[in-house]
Amino acid sequence: MLLTALAILIGLLALAVPVSAGLGFLGVALAELYSKLPLTLAIGEISWATSNNFLLVAIPFFVLLGEVLLRSGIAGRMYNALVLWIPWMPGGLMHANIAACAMFAATSGSSVATAATIGTVAMEEIEKHGYSERLFLGTIAAGGTLGILIPPSINMIVYGVLTDTSIPKLYLAGIVPGLILAGLFSLTVLVFCLARPELGGKRTTASWDQRIRALPDLIPPIVIFLAVIGSIYAGWATATESAALGVIAALAIAAWNRRLSVRMLLHAFEGTMRTTAMIMAILIAAYFLNFVIASIGLTNQVNRFITELNLKSTQLLVAVIVFYLILGCFMETLSMMVATVPIIAPIMVKAGFDPIWFGVLIVILMETAMITPPVGINLYVVQGLRKRGRIDDVIIGAAPFVVTMLVMIVVLSIWPALALWLPQTAAN
Amino acid sequence: MEAVMNGARRAAHWGLWFGGALILLAAILIGIDIVMRKFFSASIGGADELAGYALALGTAWSLAAALLDRAHIRIDSLYVLFPRRLRFLLDVVGLVLFVAFFALIARHGWNVVAQSWSSGSRSQSALQTPTVVPQFIWFVGLAGFVAIGIVLLAHAVVLASRGEHAAVAKAISTRSAEEEVEDEIRDLRERNSREGIR
Repeated sequence: MLLTALAILIGLLALAVPVSAGLGFLGVALAELYSKLPLTLAIGEISWATSNNFLLVAIPFFVLLGEVLLRSGIAGRMYNALVLWIPWMPGGLMHANIAACAMFAATSGSSVATAATIGTVAMEEIEKHGYSERLFLGTIAAGGTLGILIPPSINMIVYGVLTDTSIPKLYLAGIVPGLILAGLFSLTVLVFCLARPELGGKRTTASWDQRIRALPDLIPPIVIFLAVIGSIYAGWATATESAALGVIAALAIAAWNRRLSVRMLLHAFEGTMRTTAMIMAILIAAYFLNFVIASIGLTNQVNRFITELNLKSTQLLVAVIVFYLILGCFMETLSMMVATVPIIAPIMVKAGFDPIWFGVLIVILMETAMITPPVGINLYVVQGLRKRGRIDDVIIGAAPFVVTMLVMIVVLSIWPALALWLPQTAAN
Repeated sequence: MEAVMNGARRAAHWGLWFGGALILLAAILIGIDIVMRKFFSASIGGADELAGYALALGTAWSLAAALLDRAHIRIDSLYVLFPRRLRFLLDVVGLVLFVAFFALIARHGWNVVAQSWSSGSRSQSALQTPTVVPQFIWFVGLAGFVAIGIVLLAHAVVLASRGEHAAVAKAISTRSAEEEVEDEIRDLRERNSREGIR
């Protein structure tokens, strides 16, 4: 049963059947093959229930928030302010790229939005200041992945919904690892630029007067972070409600910057709903598949199989990490999570791993998947912004940061408290 | 065929705007609800329920535009290695399966609508929404998606029969493959113009 399911799934996906249809028809096929009950009849009810799940409403909210921010001009101002403060280190603006990504990640639930937004404003600086193009592009592709680790995070919402884990706790658990990972990215740049100073470009200088005057440009992202994350922990709003506050704050900032118009809103609507429909199509199919998988006892079979392997928990963890690293080269992250997390997360929890900690680990593995070729969405995004040269430059530039992420995974596995300390402290 | 396809494109586009407007309204409604709860100890009641409907309706009505823009994810690691004819075959198979899956959902979704109608069921919130209303609009969105999907399929087959491979790729291929095709065409043009000069 397990092998048949895997064969059908891999077959359909490898033949480039849309992920949603692949998952859905796998469900239909398994129901026909292994169940005496007409499980497919439930598809209407399941689709409706998934479609109006209040937790999932946060997804279009965060996409809309990103679309509005992208068009409101705050990212450019924020980047220019950070540029004045950061570039004294070897590696210069590349540290500003990472800092800007980390800061923008605190307002954005998506890595693609983070890389695209920061990339748009950063890209012009490469030639102006004579940077190594590859490493510079790598900082944007890798820095952008912080979008889903530093809260808010669409992937954490999906993980929380799939595994019944608290989304606010996941958010808190992502903060410290997110900051550490950003620090490690900067360290990577520093090491490279100390070893080969010609990668680092010209130093720019700024007077203290300029620096102080640029500070107000950092306020809008902080306002949005406070609206989204602050409102949850102040007890004013649930995870989804806080996303709505983020949308309103973003609209207010856009209006303040005189960028709000009907035209701009309609464009934002288009981007938002296109992405939302794509994500929801996959989620609807995944919910139906999960229902079938549980009904025919496949989940139990997988569990038995893993238990019989008699792995030590460390071996299990290493196996899961390797599995995701390989899968991440070929699969888009959301599809990968939706197809695997409902089966793998319960196994990990049963083996004694904390579900919140595992959620953070999964998110970091998804970040890695975003910059590992051939399928790495952030590589595509950065290459798309660049509009010239070969994608190999981006792949090579991002490669050192893949190593950094592996280091982060090891660090997080040795010290789970890095993720768990903040949610535990908040709970007390 | 072109006229039908253009009509489908326009309808799909309106679907996106409709969905986006619903999501924005939901965000504003929730914002008002939070402020009222915080400062007036009152609640609209059911803002979360309405936001859920906004997501369901918005999704159903936006599926078609995402399909026409080829935004639905396909894993194309192997696909890009295949020859053009095989890719076209896979494009058609993928499109048929995708539309068929949502036709299946619409088919059984209709039962959900019919059951709400016959039982007169209402939501268990303060709003007591007759559930048949949002469910019916949801169903119409799904049915519209299936219709537009069939139009797109016919459009692609017609284009293919005329040998307009670039246009077919633009309609139903994956995005990266289409870009490749465009590059090929550009190369071809350049080569032709160079030969023309000679």
